[in-house]
Amino acid sequence: MDPLYIKLALGGIALLACIGLFFGIGLALAAHKFAVEINPKVEAVKEVLAGAQ
Amino acid sequence: MKNDVKAFWTLMLIIATLWIGGCEAPSFIKAAQFEETDRIVLTFAGPVDPAWAEDRDHFTVNEKPDPDILLDIASVRLSPDQSRLTLTLADPINQNQPHQVVVKEIVSEGRNMGTQAVTVSKPYFGYLISILIGALLIQNFVFSKYLGLCVFFGTSQKKSTAVGMGITFTFVIVFASLMSWFLYQFVLKPYRLDYLQIIVFIGLVSLTVQAVDTVLRKINPALFKAFGVYLVLVIANCIVIAVPLILADNEYNMIESLMLALGAGLGFLLALFLMSSVRERLDFANVPTSYRGLPIAFIVAGLFALSFMGFSGMSIF
Repeated sequence: MDPLYIKLALGGIALLACIGLFFGIGLALAAHKFAVEINPKVEAVKEVLAGAQ
Repeated sequence: MKNDVKAFWTLMLIIATLWIGGCEAPSFIKAAQFEETDRIVLTFAGPVDPAWAEDRDHFTVNEKPDPDILLDIASVRLSPDQSRLTLTLADPINQNQPHQVVVKEIVSEGRNMGTQAVTVSKPYFGYLISILIGALLIQNFVFSKYLGLCVFFGTSQKKSTAVGMGITFTFVIVFASLMSWFLYQFVLKPYRLDYLQIIVFIGLVSLTVQAVDTVLRKINPALFKAFGVYLVLVIANCIVIAVPLILADNEYNMIESLMLALGAGLGFLLALFLMSSVRERLDFANVPTSYRGLPIAFIVAGLFALSFMGFSGMSIF
Protein backbone atom coordinates (compact mmCIF):
# COMPACT_ATOMS: atom_id res chain seq x y z
CA MET A 1 0.00 0.00 0.00
CA ASP A 2 1.08 3.57 -0.61
CA PRO A 3 2.99 4.78 2.46
CA LEU A 4 1.11 8.10 2.17
CA TYR A 5 -2.20 6.41 3.02
CA ILE A 6 -0.69 4.67 6.02
CA LYS A 7 0.71 8.01 7.17
CA LEU A 8 -2.71 9.69 6.77
CA ALA A 9 -4.49 6.89 8.62
CA LEU A 10 -2.00 6.93 11.50
CA GLY A 11 -2.21 10.73 11.59
CA GLY A 12 -5.99 10.51 11.86
CA ILE A 13 -5.82 8.05 14.72
CA ALA A 14 -3.25 10.21 16.49
CA LEU A 15 -5.36 13.35 16.00
CA LEU A 16 -8.55 11.75 17.33
CA ALA A 17 -6.65 10.30 20.27
CA CYS A 18 -5.14 13.71 21.05
CA ILE A 19 -8.52 15.49 20.87
CA GLY A 20 -10.11 12.78 23.00
CA LEU A 21 -7.35 12.94 25.59
CA PHE A 22 -7.24 16.74 25.69
CA PHE A 23 -10.98 17.24 26.04
CA GLY A 24 -11.38 14.21 28.29
CA ILE A 25 -8.90 15.62 30.78
CA GLY A 26 -10.33 19.11 30.34
CA LEU A 27 -13.90 17.97 31.00
CA ALA A 28 -12.82 15.83 33.94
CA LEU A 29 -11.03 18.79 35.51
CA ALA A 30 -14.02 21.03 34.80
CA ALA A 31 -16.39 18.51 36.34
CA HIS A 32 -14.14 18.34 39.38
CA LYS A 33 -13.77 22.10 39.72
CA PHE A 34 -17.40 22.96 39.04
CA ALA A 35 -18.83 19.99 40.92
CA VAL A 36 -22.36 20.52 42.21
CA GLU A 37 -23.56 18.60 45.20
CA ILE A 38 -26.66 16.62 44.35
CA ASN A 39 -28.61 14.93 47.08
CA PRO A 40 -28.13 11.16 46.52
CA LYS A 41 -31.64 10.56 47.84
CA VAL A 42 -33.08 12.20 44.70
CA GLU A 43 -31.52 9.51 42.52
CA ALA A 44 -32.59 6.76 44.92
CA VAL A 45 -36.21 7.91 44.89
CA LYS A 46 -36.17 8.18 41.10
CA GLU A 47 -34.90 4.61 40.85
CA VAL A 48 -37.80 3.32 42.90
CA LEU A 49 -40.50 5.31 41.10
CA ALA A 50 -42.11 3.90 37.99
CA GLY A 51 -41.17 5.78 34.83
CA ALA A 52 -41.75 4.65 31.28
CA GLN A 53 -40.21 7.75 29.67
CA MET B 1 -4.04 48.17 41.40
CA LYS B 2 -1.21 46.24 39.76
CA ASN B 3 -3.74 44.41 37.61
CA ASP B 4 -5.21 47.70 36.47
CA VAL B 5 -1.84 48.94 35.26
CA LYS B 6 -1.22 45.67 33.44
CA ALA B 7 -4.63 45.80 31.77
CA PHE B 8 -4.03 49.40 30.73
CA TRP B 9 -0.71 48.59 29.05
CA THR B 10 -2.17 45.53 27.33
CA LEU B 11 -4.94 47.72 25.95
CA MET B 12 -2.42 50.32 24.77
CA LEU B 13 -0.37 47.59 23.09
CA ILE B 14 -3.43 46.28 21.26
CA ILE B 15 -4.38 49.79 20.11
CA ALA B 16 -0.80 50.46 18.95
CA THR B 17 -0.70 47.18 17.02
CA LEU B 18 -3.99 47.92 15.33
CA TRP B 19 -2.85 51.46 14.54
CA ILE B 20 0.47 50.36 13.04
CA GLY B 21 -1.25 47.53 11.22
CA GLY B 22 -3.69 49.99 9.67
CA CYS B 23 -0.97 52.30 8.33
CA GLU B 24 0.08 52.33 4.69
CA ALA B 25 2.94 53.84 2.78
CA PRO B 26 1.95 57.18 1.22
CA SER B 27 0.74 56.73 -2.33
CA PHE B 28 -0.27 59.14 -5.09
CA ILE B 29 -3.38 57.04 -5.65
CA LYS B 30 -5.58 57.95 -2.70
CA ALA B 31 -8.45 55.54 -3.20
CA ALA B 32 -9.63 52.82 -5.52
CA GLN B 33 -13.08 51.28 -5.46
CA PHE B 34 -15.54 49.29 -7.52
CA GLU B 35 -18.49 51.08 -9.02
CA GLU B 36 -21.56 49.47 -10.60
CA THR B 37 -20.68 46.09 -12.14
CA ASP B 38 -17.83 46.85 -14.53
CA ARG B 39 -16.06 50.00 -13.33
CA ILE B 40 -13.08 50.79 -11.14
CA VAL B 41 -12.72 54.38 -9.94
CA LEU B 42 -9.27 55.68 -8.98
CA THR B 43 -8.88 58.88 -6.97
CA PHE B 44 -5.54 60.66 -7.21
CA ALA B 45 -3.95 63.03 -4.68
CA GLY B 46 -3.62 65.73 -7.36
CA PRO B 47 -4.66 66.51 -10.95
CA VAL B 48 -3.20 64.18 -13.59
CA ASP B 49 -2.35 64.96 -17.20
CA PRO B 50 -5.34 64.32 -19.56
CA ALA B 51 -3.02 63.34 -22.42
CA TRP B 52 -1.38 60.71 -20.22
CA ALA B 53 -4.74 59.41 -19.02
CA GLU B 54 -6.00 58.91 -22.57
CA ASP B 55 -3.44 56.20 -23.33
CA ARG B 56 -5.00 52.89 -22.37
CA ASP B 57 -1.60 51.15 -22.21
CA HIS B 58 -0.83 52.96 -18.96
CA PHE B 59 -3.32 50.80 -17.06
CA THR B 60 -3.50 47.10 -16.40
CA VAL B 61 -6.13 45.34 -14.33
CA ASN B 62 -5.97 41.76 -13.09
CA GLU B 63 -7.56 39.57 -10.45
CA LYS B 64 -5.10 39.31 -7.60
CA PRO B 65 -4.68 35.52 -7.63
CA ASP B 66 -3.97 35.48 -11.43
CA PRO B 67 -1.45 38.19 -12.27
CA ASP B 68 -0.94 36.70 -15.75
CA ILE B 69 -4.49 37.19 -16.95
CA LEU B 70 -4.99 40.88 -17.73
CA LEU B 71 -8.58 42.03 -18.05
CA ASP B 72 -9.71 44.00 -21.12
CA ILE B 73 -10.25 47.71 -20.52
CA ALA B 74 -13.05 49.14 -22.63
CA SER B 75 -12.59 52.84 -21.87
CA VAL B 76 -10.76 55.28 -19.62
CA ARG B 77 -12.45 58.50 -18.57
CA LEU B 78 -11.04 61.39 -16.56
CA SER B 79 -13.35 63.61 -14.50
CA PRO B 80 -13.38 67.40 -15.20
CA ASP B 81 -11.28 68.15 -12.10
CA GLN B 82 -8.65 65.70 -13.42
CA SER B 83 -8.31 63.79 -10.14
CA ARG B 84 -10.85 61.00 -10.63
CA LEU B 85 -10.33 58.36 -13.25
CA THR B 86 -12.94 55.78 -14.25
CA LEU B 87 -11.78 52.54 -15.85
CA THR B 88 -14.59 50.69 -17.59
CA LEU B 89 -13.85 47.02 -18.24
CA ALA B 90 -15.16 45.00 -21.16
CA ASP B 91 -16.72 42.35 -18.89
CA PRO B 92 -18.44 42.57 -15.50
CA ILE B 93 -16.02 42.32 -12.56
CA ASN B 94 -16.13 39.50 -10.03
CA GLN B 95 -16.19 41.83 -7.05
CA ASN B 96 -15.73 39.09 -4.46
CA GLN B 97 -12.15 38.78 -5.68
CA PRO B 98 -9.65 41.56 -4.91
CA HIS B 99 -8.30 43.15 -8.11
CA GLN B 100 -4.92 44.70 -8.73
CA VAL B 101 -4.63 47.86 -10.80
CA VAL B 102 -1.16 48.90 -12.03
CA VAL B 103 -0.89 52.52 -13.14
CA LYS B 104 2.30 53.20 -15.11
CA GLU B 105 4.33 56.42 -15.21
CA ILE B 106 1.71 58.74 -13.73
CA VAL B 107 2.14 62.32 -15.02
CA SER B 108 0.84 65.08 -12.76
CA GLU B 109 1.32 68.76 -13.55
CA GLY B 110 4.34 67.95 -15.75
CA ARG B 111 6.03 65.77 -13.09
CA ASN B 112 6.46 62.02 -13.39
CA MET B 113 5.14 60.28 -10.25
CA GLY B 114 6.36 56.80 -11.24
CA THR B 115 4.49 53.51 -11.50
CA GLN B 116 2.08 52.57 -8.73
CA ALA B 117 -0.09 49.57 -7.98
CA VAL B 118 -3.26 49.48 -5.90
CA THR B 119 -5.51 46.71 -4.75
CA VAL B 120 -9.25 47.20 -5.15
CA SER B 121 -11.54 45.16 -2.97
CA LYS B 122 -15.02 45.36 -1.55
CA PRO B 123 -15.22 47.26 1.75
CA TYR B 124 -14.35 44.62 4.34
CA PHE B 125 -16.75 45.76 7.04
CA GLY B 126 -19.59 45.65 4.56
CA TYR B 127 -18.51 42.16 3.57
CA LEU B 128 -18.71 41.04 7.20
CA ILE B 129 -22.17 42.56 7.60
CA SER B 130 -23.27 40.86 4.39
CA ILE B 131 -22.14 37.47 5.77
CA LEU B 132 -24.09 38.14 8.98
CA ILE B 133 -27.29 39.32 7.28
CA GLY B 134 -26.90 36.63 4.64
CA ALA B 135 -26.93 33.85 7.25
CA LEU B 136 -29.60 35.62 9.30
CA LEU B 137 -32.21 36.47 6.65
CA ILE B 138 -31.30 35.82 3.03
CA GLN B 139 -30.04 32.27 3.46
CA ASN B 140 -31.83 31.59 6.75
CA PHE B 141 -30.84 28.07 7.76
CA VAL B 142 -34.35 27.02 8.71
CA PHE B 143 -36.48 28.71 6.08
CA SER B 144 -34.27 28.54 3.01
CA LYS B 145 -31.92 25.63 3.67
CA TYR B 146 -34.44 23.50 5.63
CA LEU B 147 -31.90 22.47 8.27
CA GLY B 148 -32.57 21.82 11.95
CA LEU B 149 -36.27 21.15 11.43
CA CYS B 150 -36.71 18.54 14.17
CA VAL B 151 -35.61 20.87 16.94
CA PHE B 152 -37.42 23.72 15.21
CA PHE B 153 -40.79 21.96 15.39
CA GLY B 154 -40.08 20.38 18.75
CA THR B 155 -39.38 23.59 20.65
CA SER B 156 -41.57 26.18 18.93
CA GLN B 157 -44.81 25.50 20.80
CA LYS B 158 -44.34 28.20 23.41
CA LYS B 159 -42.63 31.55 23.07
CA SER B 160 -40.61 31.15 26.27
CA THR B 161 -39.13 27.78 25.33
CA ALA B 162 -38.49 28.98 21.79
CA VAL B 163 -36.49 31.99 22.95
CA GLY B 164 -34.62 29.85 25.51
CA MET B 165 -33.67 27.35 22.85
CA GLY B 166 -32.63 30.07 20.42
CA ILE B 167 -30.33 31.77 22.90
CA THR B 168 -28.76 28.49 24.04
CA PHE B 169 -28.24 27.53 20.44
CA THR B 170 -26.57 30.83 19.50
CA PHE B 171 -24.29 30.44 22.50
CA VAL B 172 -23.21 26.92 21.62
CA ILE B 173 -22.86 27.43 17.87
CA VAL B 174 -20.52 30.40 18.25
CA PHE B 175 -18.24 28.44 20.60
CA ALA B 176 -18.34 25.25 18.58
CA SER B 177 -17.72 26.86 15.20
CA LEU B 178 -14.83 28.97 16.43
CA MET B 179 -13.23 25.86 17.88
CA SER B 180 -13.77 23.82 14.75
CA TRP B 181 -12.50 26.69 12.61
CA PHE B 182 -9.29 26.74 14.65
CA LEU B 183 -8.85 22.99 14.48
CA TYR B 184 -9.57 22.88 10.76
CA GLN B 185 -7.20 25.71 9.83
CA PHE B 186 -4.30 24.74 12.04
CA VAL B 187 -4.50 20.97 12.36
CA LEU B 188 -6.76 19.27 9.81
CA LYS B 189 -5.73 21.26 6.74
CA PRO B 190 -1.94 21.42 7.21
CA TYR B 191 -1.68 17.68 7.96
CA ARG B 192 -4.10 16.72 5.18
CA LEU B 193 -6.53 15.15 7.63
CA ASP B 194 -9.58 16.98 6.28
CA TYR B 195 -11.23 13.66 5.41
CA LEU B 196 -11.93 13.43 9.16
CA GLN B 197 -13.71 16.78 9.35
CA ILE B 198 -17.24 15.47 9.98
CA ILE B 199 -16.18 13.20 12.84
CA VAL B 200 -14.02 15.89 14.41
CA PHE B 201 -16.73 18.56 14.12
CA ILE B 202 -19.41 16.33 15.63
CA GLY B 203 -17.05 15.52 18.48
CA LEU B 204 -16.30 19.19 19.07
CA VAL B 205 -19.99 20.12 19.16
CA SER B 206 -20.83 17.49 21.75
CA LEU B 207 -17.77 18.39 23.81
CA THR B 208 -18.77 22.07 23.73
CA VAL B 209 -22.27 21.21 24.86
CA GLN B 210 -20.93 19.02 27.66
CA ALA B 211 -18.51 21.75 28.78
CA VAL B 212 -21.20 24.44 28.75
CA ASP B 213 -23.48 22.08 30.68
CA THR B 214 -20.86 21.38 33.36
CA VAL B 215 -19.70 24.95 33.82
CA LEU B 216 -23.15 26.56 33.70
CA ARG B 217 -24.58 24.15 36.26
CA LYS B 218 -22.18 25.58 38.82
CA ILE B 219 -21.73 29.19 37.74
CA ASN B 220 -25.27 30.21 36.88
CA PRO B 221 -27.87 27.70 38.09
CA ALA B 222 -30.73 30.03 37.17
CA LEU B 223 -29.62 30.20 33.53
CA PHE B 224 -28.94 26.46 33.58
CA LYS B 225 -32.49 25.81 34.71
CA ALA B 226 -33.79 28.13 31.98
CA PHE B 227 -31.77 26.26 29.33
CA GLY B 228 -32.96 22.97 30.82
CA VAL B 229 -33.23 20.13 28.38
CA TYR B 230 -32.55 22.30 25.30
CA LEU B 231 -28.84 22.42 25.95
CA VAL B 232 -28.61 18.70 25.25
CA LEU B 233 -31.01 19.00 22.32
CA VAL B 234 -28.54 21.29 20.54
CA ILE B 235 -26.41 18.23 19.72
CA ALA B 236 -29.30 16.83 17.69
CA ASN B 237 -29.49 19.98 15.56
CA CYS B 238 -27.91 19.80 12.13
CA ILE B 239 -27.26 23.54 11.76
CA VAL B 240 -24.57 23.15 14.38
CA ILE B 241 -22.68 20.74 12.13
CA ALA B 242 -23.54 22.55 8.87
CA VAL B 243 -21.85 25.79 9.91
CA PRO B 244 -18.36 24.30 10.53
CA LEU B 245 -18.58 22.44 7.22
CA ILE B 246 -19.49 25.66 5.39
CA LEU B 247 -16.61 27.44 7.12
CA ALA B 248 -14.21 24.73 6.03
CA ASP B 249 -15.48 24.84 2.44
CA ASN B 250 -15.32 28.62 2.07
CA GLU B 251 -11.94 29.10 3.78
CA TYR B 252 -13.32 31.90 5.96
CA ASN B 253 -11.01 33.64 8.40
CA MET B 254 -11.81 33.96 12.08
CA ILE B 255 -13.93 37.12 12.04
CA GLU B 256 -15.88 35.91 9.01
CA SER B 257 -16.47 32.59 10.79
CA LEU B 258 -17.70 34.41 13.87
CA MET B 259 -20.12 36.41 11.72
CA LEU B 260 -21.50 33.32 9.98
CA ALA B 261 -21.94 31.46 13.28
CA LEU B 262 -23.62 34.46 14.87
CA GLY B 263 -25.87 34.88 11.83
CA ALA B 264 -26.84 31.20 11.88
CA GLY B 265 -27.60 31.31 15.61
CA LEU B 266 -29.60 34.54 15.49
CA GLY B 267 -31.38 33.33 12.35
CA PHE B 268 -32.48 30.20 14.21
CA LEU B 269 -33.60 32.34 17.14
CA LEU B 270 -35.60 34.54 14.77
CA ALA B 271 -37.18 31.54 13.08
CA LEU B 272 -38.13 29.97 16.42
CA PHE B 273 -39.57 33.25 17.72
CA LEU B 274 -41.69 33.84 14.60
CA MET B 275 -42.92 30.27 14.55
CA SER B 276 -43.80 30.15 18.25
CA SER B 277 -45.73 33.43 18.02
CA VAL B 278 -47.87 31.92 15.28
CA ARG B 279 -48.31 28.57 17.01
CA GLU B 280 -49.44 30.21 20.25
CA ARG B 281 -52.25 31.84 18.31
CA LEU B 282 -53.02 28.70 16.36
CA ASP B 283 -54.02 27.06 19.63
CA PHE B 284 -57.08 29.33 19.72
CA ALA B 285 -57.81 29.19 16.01
CA ASN B 286 -60.48 27.05 14.46
CA VAL B 287 -58.27 24.49 12.71
CA PRO B 288 -59.84 21.39 11.08
CA THR B 289 -59.34 18.39 13.35
CA SER B 290 -57.08 16.45 11.03
CA TYR B 291 -54.75 19.44 10.65
CA ARG B 292 -54.36 20.20 14.35
CA GLY B 293 -50.87 20.16 15.85
CA LEU B 294 -47.93 19.30 13.66
CA PRO B 295 -49.60 19.34 10.19
CA ILE B 296 -50.72 22.96 10.45
CA ALA B 297 -47.28 23.81 11.85
CA PHE B 298 -45.67 22.42 8.71
CA ILE B 299 -48.02 24.49 6.56
CA VAL B 300 -47.17 27.63 8.54
CA ALA B 301 -43.45 26.87 8.18
CA GLY B 302 -43.96 26.53 4.43
CA LEU B 303 -45.65 29.95 4.34
CA PHE B 304 -42.75 31.43 6.29
CA ALA B 305 -40.32 29.85 3.83
CA LEU B 306 -42.26 31.40 0.95
CA SER B 307 -42.10 34.83 2.55
CA PHE B 308 -38.37 34.42 3.25
CA MET B 309 -37.93 33.74 -0.46
CA GLY B 310 -38.58 37.46 -0.85
CA PHE B 311 -35.06 38.01 0.48
CA SER B 312 -33.45 35.65 -2.02
CA GLY B 313 -31.04 37.09 -4.53
CA MET B 314 -30.68 40.26 -2.50
CA SER B 315 -27.15 41.51 -2.04
CA ILE B 316 -25.99 44.04 0.50
CA PHE B 317 -22.93 46.18 -0.24
